[in-house]
Amino acid sequence: MQDRMLPLIAGCLVALVSALGVVLARKPVHGAVALLVHSLSIAGLYLALSAELVAMGQVIIYSGAIVVLFLFVVLLLPHGGSEKAASGGRMAAALLGGALLLAGLLLAISAAPRLSAPPPPPPSRAGAADVGRALFGAELVPFELTAILLLVAIVGAVTLWRRQEAERA
Amino acid sequence: MTAFLVAGVDTSAEALVLGTSAVLFALGAVGCLLRRNPMALLMSIELMLNAGNLVLVLAAHTRGFVDAQAAALIVLVLGAAEAVIGLALALALFRNREEVDSDEPQEVQG
Repeated sequence: MQDRMLPLIAGCLVALVSALGVVLARKPVHGAVALLVHSLSIAGLYLALSAELVAMGQVIIYSGAIVVLFLFVVLLLPHGGSEKAASGGRMAAALLGGALLLAGLLLAISAAPRLSAPPPPPPSRAGAADVGRALFGAELVPFELTAILLLVAIVGAVTLWRRQEAERA
Repeated sequence: MTAFLVAGVDTSAEALVLGTSAVLFALGAVGCLLRRNPMALLMSIELMLNAGNLVLVLAAHTRGFVDAQAAALIVLVLGAAEAVIGLALALALFRNREEVDSDEPQEVQG
């Protein structure tokens, strides 16, 4: 019991603290580093929940690609993208919104009938092969749609950039 | 809340991860409301995506939904595409500015 709970508790703690760092970091570089720690801790949680394939994807896509992309853009933004301090009213509004959302989420979780239902089915160990079968079976259409999504994202990013260059010329 | 804090390791692990992901989602929302820097905004959105993904993986583990893991992988790809477009927008909007503030982008137009 303890040996399974311990990595979960540690992962949750690191994820929460680093998420706080992402939200509060004044400099984007610090935020990006906190995001890196956060995504690695989330990958650790996936491992603890025996989702090895998703953990691997998280490390490669998030920690590898996305955080590096963020760091590149920080280099290109003026003044490294530093911003003015938030006003008191803005801070209060953000905290109020977050608190309301959290209260709503916790309420929904505690009200969910499935959680208080009698014992859930035994945890199954779904390996990469099972996930692949699901990906190319039941989830085939969304999976193939991601190809179009990525293509559109690439074309969109290039178009945004080219338009700006055309305006400068 | 008390209903799933009673007993059983799976129940308590589920409660822990569910609670964490709820707090992470709320933190991401606070970041979206609080920050003006488009970079910080996008990072907060990534936090929220991660929180949602965590619930998917948790469901795959405790309830035995293999499809949920596949869905989590698709959400990862979605997050990547969203980051690419968001960062391209941030660069296009704030490249020639002294200061970045997502509340006043005057150049957004068809």
